[in-house]
Amino acid sequence: MTSRIDRISLLAVPGLAYLAVIYALPLLILLAKSIRTPDGISFAEYAAFFSDDYNMGVLLRTLRVAALTTLLALLIAYPTAFAMNRAKGPMLTVFLVAMVLPMSLGVVVKAFAWSILFRANGFINTSLQWIGLTEKPVRMLFTETALVIGAANVFLPFMVLPIYAVVRQLDQRLPEAAASLGATPFFRFFHVTLPLTLPGVVAGSAFTFSMAISMYVIPSLIVGERQQTLSMLIARSFLYLRNEALGSTISAVLLAIAIIVVVFSSWLARRLEARQ
Amino acid sequence: MTAEKAPAGRHYLDVWGVAKSFKGTRVMSDMNFRVERGELVSLLGPSGCGKSTLLRIIAGLLDADEGSVVLDGRDITRQPAHKRNISVVFQNYALFPHLTVAENVAFGLRARGMAKGATGAPVADALALVRMTEFADRPIAALSGGQQQRVAVARALVVGPDLLLLDEPFSALDRKLRETMQVELKSLLLDRGITAIFVTHDQEEAMGVSDRIAVMNAGRIEQFADPSTLYSRPASPFVMDFVGLSTRLEAVSKGRDGDLTVFDTAYGKVRAQENIPAGTRALVGVRPELVKPGEGENRIATTLADVMVLGSKTVLHGGAGEVDRILCELPGIRSGMARGDKVELGWAVGDTLVYGMAS
Repeated sequence: MTSRIDRISLLAVPGLAYLAVIYALPLLILLAKSIRTPDGISFAEYAAFFSDDYNMGVLLRTLRVAALTTLLALLIAYPTAFAMNRAKGPMLTVFLVAMVLPMSLGVVVKAFAWSILFRANGFINTSLQWIGLTEKPVRMLFTETALVIGAANVFLPFMVLPIYAVVRQLDQRLPEAAASLGATPFFRFFHVTLPLTLPGVVAGSAFTFSMAISMYVIPSLIVGERQQTLSMLIARSFLYLRNEALGSTISAVLLAIAIIVVVFSSWLARRLEARQ
Repeated sequence: MTAEKAPAGRHYLDVWGVAKSFKGTRVMSDMNFRVERGELVSLLGPSGCGKSTLLRIIAGLLDADEGSVVLDGRDITRQPAHKRNISVVFQNYALFPHLTVAENVAFGLRARGMAKGATGAPVADALALVRMTEFADRPIAALSGGQQQRVAVARALVVGPDLLLLDEPFSALDRKLRETMQVELKSLLLDRGITAIFVTHDQEEAMGVSDRIAVMNAGRIEQFADPSTLYSRPASPFVMDFVGLSTRLEAVSKGRDGDLTVFDTAYGKVRAQENIPAGTRALVGVRPELVKPGEGENRIATTLADVMVLGSKTVLHGGAGEVDRILCELPGIRSGMARGDKVELGWAVGDTLVYGMAS
């Protein structure tokens, strides 16, 4: 019996080997560079990074943008997942295609499409002025708002699909049982539906947040150099400043945040599932 | 729809003229169903007969297209489920998997606005009632089927419902446990004077737990009567077949002979009290325990197709399958009879059930 399990676990070897060579090894080298200085091992780069107001500003902006992106994606995705669960046949296909198709379009194309939407003489501004809500064009391109809206759009499928998977598993009689016990729709949602779909919310949020925190192309195209994010800072350190120590340090910070998100979310998901 | 109002207050539960369609298909029309206070009633029928639809309409989980539902004088037809004060025990209990046993039982109280601290005593009482006190803090997943059913019952009763609906409550339990739970639940409901409606497809279960049974078929109630009437005087061949087993023979009336009607069957002449005009096709039936070898005014000769010794009874099978079926049930173990034996089976004229068929 044991030998059989061992043989099956051998199937993980190609994947693990691939990850070790392509992912873990370069990452270790990168991390090593962040603590290796001419004077030996030192965390001076980290101290310098965290004591720099500009860097801290970028870090906070990155976290804020990722959090707002996750929140916006969640607000759109949660009802969408329920609508998909109700949809049948061709309507469900439309939903799924609408989820997957934009992913094949590429971020660059989408980002240029948004700039048409958001720019001073773009669709939104023209509409706002035509309705009479604003007199002058509102600045939208190169703002954090545009970035959050754009990023939420790109990451939406990664929020919808995990929630949809959980909603599909939800026993429809549970809300009915709650109703027959006197629970209003509001009470049913907060005491039955939401707690039972929370694992999907956690998974979707973890995906979206960890992708939003490390996104590079979207902020480069939407907000440009004016408002840096951690990823842009890393790219600048490596490509323009040729400062590998700084670049590796910021990479390590970003990695640490990603690890915290992953560990915390899987702990939360396990805890939620243990209750069920 | 007619403008008549339901005769509110005459009956405890008054389902009146209810109709329901799904995607253009009428599954129920002009349904009338009345239950008195404190009664235990079953809706009995095969799957697709409309019993679950009726239950869901009463519970408010489904809207009736027409008609009204009146409970204790209140017209609840347009009330949402959560305002009706009708508790439901679902087929697989629908316990909340993210809550403990005690939290499940407290759910209805909390939903009605009771403070968390105040639910302790009523929840403890309800758990004691179903003998689940020591399981209060367990998660639902740790319970067996029978324990889950007890929790579902406690959860449904703790809120003091005006009506309790139970959708196939025993179907997930194995046979032995099912019988124990039936006895337990029935005495619990009777002790507390709770009006309850069971939905079931199991005629033994319906007969065991209810004061009255509504036998449903194709969206209609075929007969609504107490178990003994239902069994001894089924109103239609459907009820006769669905509630218990019986001998059934295809027959043609030969007209009256004195006070009785004579029927021709494939196994000889049978007499019955019902007046069926000569030449009319009919179905003749008799309950198996009323059939005895070599006794009774009605006699038919048959070859035994099977003899089943079941311990508490021995069942003799005769006749030819579905069209003509002859059953004789004798108490205890009977030896000395075997497949292929020629026997004469008989029963009393008064026990004969006759259903004239439209020709």
